[in-house]
Amino acid sequence: MSAKPKVEVAREHLAKAREEADGGDLRDAVQWAFASPEAAIDALAESQGIAIDEQHWKRTEAARELHKRGVLPKDLSGLHRELNELRKGVFYEGDELEAGDLSIEDTLTDVETAVEIAEAQS
Amino acid sequence: MTTTLVRAWRQPTPTREGLIGLGLPDPELWASRLQLDRERAAGHQTAELASITAAVQSRSHELGAAALILTGSTARGVRTAVSDLDYHVIGARPSLDDLPADIDLYCDYPAELDAKLAAGDDFAHWSARYGCVLFDDGTFEAAVAAACDVWPDPERKLRQARRALDFAERLAVSGDYPALLEQVRATLSLTARWWLLAHDVFPLARDELNRQLVELRQAELARALAASIHERPTPTALAASLSTVRVLTS
Repeated sequence: MSAKPKVEVAREHLAKAREEADGGDLRDAVQWAFASPEAAIDALAESQGIAIDEQHWKRTEAARELHKRGVLPKDLSGLHRELNELRKGVFYEGDELEAGDLSIEDTLTDVETAVEIAEAQS
Repeated sequence: MTTTLVRAWRQPTPTREGLIGLGLPDPELWASRLQLDRERAAGHQTAELASITAAVQSRSHELGAAALILTGSTARGVRTAVSDLDYHVIGARPSLDDLPADIDLYCDYPAELDAKLAAGDDFAHWSARYGCVLFDDGTFEAAVAAACDVWPDPERKLRQARRALDFAERLAVSGDYPALLEQVRATLSLTARWWLLAHDVFPLARDELNRQLVELRQAELARALAASIHERPTPTALAASLSTVRVLTS
């Protein structure tokens, strides 16, 4: 596996999320929809000097901080946390995704924004 | 002179008979468990972790939870650098948004807990056997006593392992090393738990699975799992681990 830039990883994960959502597989869509902002936040956090240490909760905090600093137009910490819970549920809980009020379309729109900003800053 | 024998809780052996042999329900035995579990929880946590647990406990109480159990590697005293903090709350989900840790919180209302135990959900059975019960209004005790002869369903774990494997194989060609490493670790853990349950061994905490696997002569899976926890294997090595899982679970 080559060391691919985080922004590239984020873009490719987002494309897979869209593909799965369009195909009706919400479980896989959620997996990729979580992986994409993880990589985008990593890229943005690095450029802002925010430590992540490969910990999800630090990415959640970073999403909030990036919004505070005006890097992200929206605070994605809640979405990041929710996607993290959902993707773990896919593996450890029942066979059905319990997405509650989450709209996959709205989710992907928010993730797209984060990825675009990460790309613009890279 | 009369002598009163008070039965003391001990953690069950990781066998089918482990929980049955303890003789639940028994109020004195359960009281000794609560005492022992509080001591274990205190001994296995740093001050920072303990303060997070105190917050989870307080918030669960405020929402009227019936019980709260500290589970996973922290409960067993075998945390690693990649351990989350795991809890099982019997009641509503408290908000943990501001707590500085990767927290896995499983929430079940009492009827859901009963159903999961009866259906052989291995996570619920893990809480029953090895969790540190931080408080319990009697709901958890009754549920455990009613299900202590149920063995977790290995097939459920196999389905989870296969699902995790499918996604790991897709991540393996994505160039996202941190996500791949985490997913391979999860896949290996699920596979190990399936294998152990299918061979009548109850899986302990993640970093204890290696020893349990070796005892069942599953050294290759044990090595791969240990490497995913304690090392940063090359992508090639991670892909080889996934091949091992693919063969085992086919």
